Amino acid sequence: MFQVIGGRGVQVTRLLAPGRAVLVEAVRGRKSRTDTVAKSKQGRIKVPPPVDPTEMVVLKERYAEYEMITRALRLEFKEEVLRKKYEEETGSMAEEHRALMVFNDQENLRMLQQRVVRIQMEKEEAENKQVEAAIERELQQQEFIKEKEREILKLQEDAKNFITLENLDQRIEEALDSPKNYNFAVDKEGRVVKQTMLQ
Amino acid sequence: MPMKGRFPIRRTLEYLQKGDIVLKNRVKIMTVNYNTSGELSDGARKFVFFNIPQIQYKNQWLQIMMFKNMTPSPFLKFYLDDGEQVLVDMEGKDYKQISQHVKKILGKSEEVLQAEAQAKMQASNPANFGPRKYCLRECICEVEGQVPCPGATPLPKEMTGKHRARMAAAAAQE
Repeated sequence: MFQVIGGRGVQVTRLLAPGRAVLVEAVRGRKSRTDTVAKSKQGRIKVPPPVDPTEMVVLKERYAEYEMITRALRLEFKEEVLRKKYEEETGSMAEEHRALMVFNDQENLRMLQQRVVRIQMEKEEAENKQVEAAIERELQQQEFIKEKEREILKLQEDAKNFITLENLDQRIEEALDSPKNYNFAVDKEGRVVKQTMLQ
Repeated sequence: MPMKGRFPIRRTLEYLQKGDIVLKNRVKIMTVNYNTSGELSDGARKFVFFNIPQIQYKNQWLQIMMFKNMTPSPFLKFYLDDGEQVLVDMEGKDYKQISQHVKKILGKSEEVLQAEAQAKMQASNPANFGPRKYCLRECICEVEGQVPCPGATPLPKEMTGKHRARMAAAAAQE
């Protein structure tokens, strides 16, 4: 059977209700819904046990305090047992553990020093490489400039032999006067003969 | 078809059981930071490739996490249950050296392992009969060569207590 109480009545009922952890609803039991009620229980109205309000309030407070204390004690003892078990496992290993940690720290320190030295060397090498690259680039530039100058001079030299409008007639005369023979002969041994009969 | 991967021996039970790093119970998490390229991280990579499966097999409840290419140098970090963190530098080391170092600082020693094995053997004593949780067998009828369970096949009449009692009563009467 359900009891629907709303509003302020809820607080009153909470205060007056017996502080049981589990709220048991009406359970079906052995008989199903359609089974008839027993003859001796025909007109029975189930009534909850009577509750004295003042006594209930006092009892509730006392029980709350008592249960809180016992729960706290229980948990304390449980925690103590667990801690003892943990301590006996790790407490005996504490000194060895500390020694091993110290050893590990020394190892790490040694690696750190090695690393620092290595990084230093790498940095120096990189710097050296940079300087060398710069010098190389400078040299390349100088070479380039020199090459270009040489080309200019060569061009200037060649310019003297160019055929211009003034030289044209003279050069034609010279070319006609000196015929050049481009023929040559090659034998099976690979000997080149440039001097042949001009036809 | 049965061989998968580059070194399929890593997947064999024999290889995994050969792993000798059993970490202490206090170690809960193991983190490996390593790089996928670089000469200095080579030992770390080999450690991850060859030894991590063995470690996980021997420490089933240990959480292992791998992080790739997050830091310039490789390292291991162990997180213990009281919040302590143990850092192990791996740069430039060989994978065998790394595993020996780890075994030394956080591994269970030989005596401890043997003591644990002894305790386990004592727990699984074949002379004890009882619930499956604590013993190997529940009843002698489960053993080969013993009288089978009367629940499965009925015993011959001569072996039942009823018959024996009747015989004894008949003999006493005479």
